[in-house]
Amino acid sequence: MTRKSVILHFGPDLTDKPIISGMLRKFDISVNILQASITPDEAGTMFVWLEGDPAEIRNTLGYLEEVGVRLVFPKKNLIWDEKMCTHCGACVGQCLPKALSISNDSGCVSLDHERCLACELCIPACPFGALQSVAEHLG
Amino acid sequence: MPKTYEEINDKIQKGKAVVVTAEEIINIVKEKGVKNAAKEVDVVTTGTFGPMCSSGALINTGHTKPKMNYKQAWMNGVPAYCGIAAVDLFIGATAIPEDDPANKVFPGKFKYGGAHVIEDLVAGKDVLLEATSYGTDCYPRREISTLINIKDLNNATLLNPRNAYQNYNVAVNAHSKRSIYTYMGILRPKMSNMNYCSAGQLSPLLNDPNFRTIGIGTRIFLAGGTGYVIFPGTQHDTTGDRTEKGIPKGGSGTISVMGNLKNMHTKYLRAASFTGYGVSLSVGIGVPIPILDEEIALATSIRDEDILAPVWDYSEDYPEFKGKPLGYLSYAELRSGKVQFKGREIETASLSSLPAAREIAQTLKKWIMQGNFLLSRPAELLPAAGSGVASVKLKERPLDNPPSKKRSKSKRPN
Repeated sequence: MTRKSVILHFGPDLTDKPIISGMLRKFDISVNILQASITPDEAGTMFVWLEGDPAEIRNTLGYLEEVGVRLVFPKKNLIWDEKMCTHCGACVGQCLPKALSISNDSGCVSLDHERCLACELCIPACPFGALQSVAEHLG
Repeated sequence: MPKTYEEINDKIQKGKAVVVTAEEIINIVKEKGVKNAAKEVDVVTTGTFGPMCSSGALINTGHTKPKMNYKQAWMNGVPAYCGIAAVDLFIGATAIPEDDPANKVFPGKFKYGGAHVIEDLVAGKDVLLEATSYGTDCYPRREISTLINIKDLNNATLLNPRNAYQNYNVAVNAHSKRSIYTYMGILRPKMSNMNYCSAGQLSPLLNDPNFRTIGIGTRIFLAGGTGYVIFPGTQHDTTGDRTEKGIPKGGSGTISVMGNLKNMHTKYLRAASFTGYGVSLSVGIGVPIPILDEEIALATSIRDEDILAPVWDYSEDYPEFKGKPLGYLSYAELRSGKVQFKGREIETASLSSLPAAREIAQTLKKWIMQGNFLLSRPAELLPAAGSGVASVKLKERPLDNPPSKKRSKSKRPN
């Protein structure tokens, strides 16, 4: 049994589709909805805990991505939204525990959640809004 | 034996051109020698993706019915310049709404500005256009408030007065006791971190340091579409210090670029909010360099270790326009993540994205190899070292009794 917290982003084309019930019929998992804001024809978000067998959770996440739901995984209180990240490095110099770093070879930014202290000093340094607190992300 | 533009384009059209990136050419020159490299390689592609404040979009919305001459206009609440013809607008990347709190509560967040409007347009999102006018016999309409979408606009052009600086400063905070908020990011006190902003060995203008091939009319990769160098960029300078190999040790050359916004992609045109500073636009640019001769081939084999960038203090020296660089560091040192500087170890980070720069150089390479992108011979090359073209300071000549003060005392005559 594992538990995974994930934020689901629904585009306007998905908010009128029965995605969560489809997910529950297909996979043997339980869902705890912590926060949800879904309005037909508008983009929506849902913050959930998924509980179940690790393979089942993996399949569930695969299904959600397949139907077009964008997934964001919060750890501690910091969200690094890789799709928003341009891999500049503006955040790196603010990160004292060196959780955020740039690879010498690829030049890509990565976040080591184990090192992160959730001090949030990196958040104002990101010009692209790729680093957010969970509260900020859920708007 | 030198090559011509025509020969290279002929090879491109036949799918026979040899195209490599500015990183790949380094080893080719090292292994085969510059003579063979110049013979074998036809084009070297470059790339850069970083914040370029001197950017904006020139838009013609198409005429309204009845007709209107916009005199004040806002796009999603951001003021657009309309001191040009009837339905022409220029939305500058750094423009912010008049009611943005800016730095009144320091440091300001600058969440939405002109760059965000441009990114929203390119993303295909609807944008609210509001405009007012005084009304004339030929343009009677005085107000408009409507959603617009890039696909319906008469013209939408990216028009950037100064992009792709040849080289750039490295920024530190040497004197302030608090973190300072700059267009070079957040700089912690006592030189705790150091930010730079260049694609180094991939950077377009560093691969043609003497402007043998880049000039007015050069066709380029611009933000995912095709664009052109239309002029030397503002503040183009050819007089700064150079290394023994002739590489500028500071800002130096710039380009002004233009291209159809409708063909661009948000992947290479991203709005940036710099806390405490303002809004900017990260622009992706790739310039192809035709390998006409050995000298050009050698220039494209430039490596990060050959390029020096000046370290400037952004807490006093840079803002006060005084002093000199605290020192110079190579991009090889800066890329390593930490440098030894003034007797201490300092963490370095770039504001320019290396993965994006690489992707742009690779994309441009692919376009050329597919025969979709021909090289253009410039109508005029950019002014190079020795031309004397320099960027000058403003000479201020204030009046004792300026007209703005007089006006405030009495009503201005009609």
